[in-house]
Amino acid sequence: MNPVISRPLCGLLFTLLVIGLVPASAAEEPAYEESDFLNRVRRLTFEGRRAGEGYFSPDGNQLVFQSERYEGNPFFQIYLMDMMTGESRLVSPGPGKTTCAFIRPGAGDILFGSTHHDPESEALQRAELEARAAGEEKRYSWDYDPEMEIWVAAGDGSGLTRLTDVRGYDAEGSYSPDGEWIVFSSMRDAYNRELTEEEIKILEVNPAYFAEIYLMRADGTDQRRLTDAPGYDGGPFFSTDGSKIVWRRFDEEGLTADVWTMNVDGTDQYRVTDFGAMSWAPYEHPSGEYIFFASNKLGFSNFEVYIVDAAGLKEPVQVTYTDGFDGLPVPSPDGSKLVWTSTRHQGEGGQLYMGDWNHEAALEALERSPQRERPE
Amino acid sequence: MKERVNLRAICALAVLLAATPAIGATGSLESYVTYLTSDELEGRLTGSGGERMAADFIAGQLGELGAEPLPGQEEFKIPFEFTAGTNDGGTTLALKAAEVEREWSSVDSVQALSFSDNASVTGGVVFAGYGLVLPESQDFFYDSYTGLDVEGKIVLALRYFPEDMDQESRSKLARYSGLRYKALQARERGAKALLVVAGPRSPNAGEIVPMTFDTAVSGSGIIAASISGAVADQLFEHVADKTLEQAQASLDDGNPHVTGFEIPGFELTLDVKVERERRTGYNVVGMLAGTDPGGSDKPYVLLGAHYDHLGRGKNGNSLARAEEVGGIHYGADDNASGTAALLEAGARLVGMEHKRNVVLAFWSGEELGLLGSSAFLNGPDDEALLAVDTTAGYVNMDMVGRMKDNRLTVQAIGSSSVWPRLIEQSNVPVGFDIQTMEDPYLPTDSTAFNTASVPTLNLFTGSHEDYHRPSDTAEKINYEDLARVAQFGALVTYRLANMDQAPDFVNVTPKRQEGGSRDTLRAFTGTIPDYTTEVEGLRLSGVIEGGPAAEAGLQEGDIIVGFAGQEITNIYDYTYALEVVKIGEPVAVVFMREGERHEVTMTPTARD
Repeated sequence: MNPVISRPLCGLLFTLLVIGLVPASAAEEPAYEESDFLNRVRRLTFEGRRAGEGYFSPDGNQLVFQSERYEGNPFFQIYLMDMMTGESRLVSPGPGKTTCAFIRPGAGDILFGSTHHDPESEALQRAELEARAAGEEKRYSWDYDPEMEIWVAAGDGSGLTRLTDVRGYDAEGSYSPDGEWIVFSSMRDAYNRELTEEEIKILEVNPAYFAEIYLMRADGTDQRRLTDAPGYDGGPFFSTDGSKIVWRRFDEEGLTADVWTMNVDGTDQYRVTDFGAMSWAPYEHPSGEYIFFASNKLGFSNFEVYIVDAAGLKEPVQVTYTDGFDGLPVPSPDGSKLVWTSTRHQGEGGQLYMGDWNHEAALEALERSPQRERPE
Repeated sequence: MKERVNLRAICALAVLLAATPAIGATGSLESYVTYLTSDELEGRLTGSGGERMAADFIAGQLGELGAEPLPGQEEFKIPFEFTAGTNDGGTTLALKAAEVEREWSSVDSVQALSFSDNASVTGGVVFAGYGLVLPESQDFFYDSYTGLDVEGKIVLALRYFPEDMDQESRSKLARYSGLRYKALQARERGAKALLVVAGPRSPNAGEIVPMTFDTAVSGSGIIAASISGAVADQLFEHVADKTLEQAQASLDDGNPHVTGFEIPGFELTLDVKVERERRTGYNVVGMLAGTDPGGSDKPYVLLGAHYDHLGRGKNGNSLARAEEVGGIHYGADDNASGTAALLEAGARLVGMEHKRNVVLAFWSGEELGLLGSSAFLNGPDDEALLAVDTTAGYVNMDMVGRMKDNRLTVQAIGSSSVWPRLIEQSNVPVGFDIQTMEDPYLPTDSTAFNTASVPTLNLFTGSHEDYHRPSDTAEKINYEDLARVAQFGALVTYRLANMDQAPDFVNVTPKRQEGGSRDTLRAFTGTIPDYTTEVEGLRLSGVIEGGPAAEAGLQEGDIIVGFAGQEITNIYDYTYALEVVKIGEPVAVVFMREGERHEVTMTPTARD
């Protein structure tokens, strides 16, 4: 659930290329093709410049997502799509930036990060619109707005309630399967204590360095910190049985990332991937057998979706094979569909895609995949 | 974006949304296509008995659906007249000078231009060079009539445009060198008639212009004929200081100071006789009445498809290979598929609540130049059968039976800002891998509506090697996915019919400028463009066997990115580049194949 990638990660990727950290693409022929795992691939969203971060309701009949389609606001707003009729409705209030929504199991409430309460938000919208009109759109404008807070509303947008209230970006939240807990990412650590001179410098260039994983109750109480490592910890989700949290951790410089799992109390932190590339946006398949994630292992801007067994004992298997960005994979609750964000239509921004997911083929491919050295 | 929930509408929608097509849908689609492509319909040529049988079949199906004829019509079948062909009926040209009289009457010497009116005129002759006038908007001055008075005269002009100008200027002039356009310019300046000759320095030198298949209903108030080089030479005997060839040569570098001149000493009498073969074609149009059409500013929504095809392919649009020539062109994909999908979509829309009236329009005459849809919108007597300002939108289905890999191309989405939302909503339950294309200027009936400022959409599953060949047959249709296309078309139409506000119309600027016409295209390359993929360059869906492209080694899938030194980014660039190449002169063609850049030499041949 990384908001960064909803904008192309140009800045970061460029660094990667320059310092040569991206491994050369493997010379051998890939063992599979996309149709081995995904069928009836379809484009879900068309309206607006960009859309992404689609997450299902527990019954699979609805999909919450973010899209730049709110008139007069260049930033994402949160929408709820009815998967039967195809109709979508606005959930977030309209002004400001929003990101990373998730539907609360049992209740249908929707949480999301938003800056609409910031009195500056409309001025920021205007500035962005003017910049775009002048052709000066920033290459990567996700700025970890310190005003970003987690809010919750009913599916029709009513009953809007604020859950976090500390300076520093709070977002990338998701509910536990029982709907009682929220795991999220926060940069509050950069604002709630005295920073060293070195840290002040880091905050200017790489604020995400301070991001850590936190847990709170669904009403916003009982907030507690689960991770304590330099580098961007974000995009956390519960496993289907609620016993684990899967998330991605960047290294200190924000150059590479890997998928990790831990217990819900923060113990037993365990690294699952080790491509030495940017591997992120993990989400567990509801069978609990494997984790989806996206990685640019094959190079520069070619993000593809992979699966890896939960213990990370096997070599991950690539499941998308299309040029451009393919990432933020999320399975339907019954495991039969996969929604992800892609630029395969060669448009200016990503849009949501969905395909029929072949779980059996995925299990077989993992079964056949070679064992590998466990990363430390 | 709070929307009131309309329970009745939701129930109706459920019918449309049923994930699997209605029971028997693929079966009925197959039976529709099978009948439309049967031998007895003989390729459904507009004006033929086969077309009539197809129209009767469709009208019968509309009756079974419970559709009703359009207001003011008693039947589903609505006739329109068209010109099925033109012949010269004995055009003559007579010269009368003080000491000599001459007359020419064979079609090797003088022949009507197909768009000419029948009339006899007499007058002195003015040679007006290439007879070219560029509109002021072109930012490039060229006017063959500068300093000439042609009032009451017969204008003699060269075919085509100056041969030796630089490429860029030629490409500008080429677009205004159509003969109909030249004749119009002469008439606007008071000329009585236009005579055209292909100059000795041009392709088809000295040859009579063939009477093209011109489907205009009546003459254009223009009198025009073409004469042979030999006749023109005899007229030039009255010019003291130059021959036709010298006159052409002095014009060919585009020197703006070279002007036309009066040819003194004689009068010409031109008696043009054009025989037009008039035929009747039939559109078949039914309506599903809306629940509240009056509650909307635009009470009609149209879903349409053409049902005609090429017959036995004798009218010039056939791509039959040598051994197939004269065979029945079955047109299973083009467009029995769209016709069947339209019947199926109609069946889905029946009984569903829609506020606006839904019109199901089956066009004829599409293959001959959008004749049926144009007649519906414009005539007869300029009285449209449905006022376009009452039409909220038009959705067209043309060639929708060959879906591969779940890919549907949705074209013309630039014509309204509402399309992305409607496509999104309609596709979620159907689930196509949709490619969208902005351009509403398409070689199908939706273009007639776009011209009339109606928002349009066209559904298309892609071109293929059987396109316009007898091998476009029923067993190659993908009926399962055709049923899904019908469902998608019905959903878009349903949403269009229930929108509170009619969609806005966005006037997309054509990438290709107006003014040109097919008769300015002189070069033949034998390439078949692929209209479904938006790539940088021109992707080929095939090449015509034995044509220059095939000779040069080009093949399906190649993407032309350079032609005769011009960069090619789309089909329009290609057409421009083609307009100005010289026949028989080799040009460099740069193309991409499997990601690799290649260059070959191709030698275009002449069209008629």
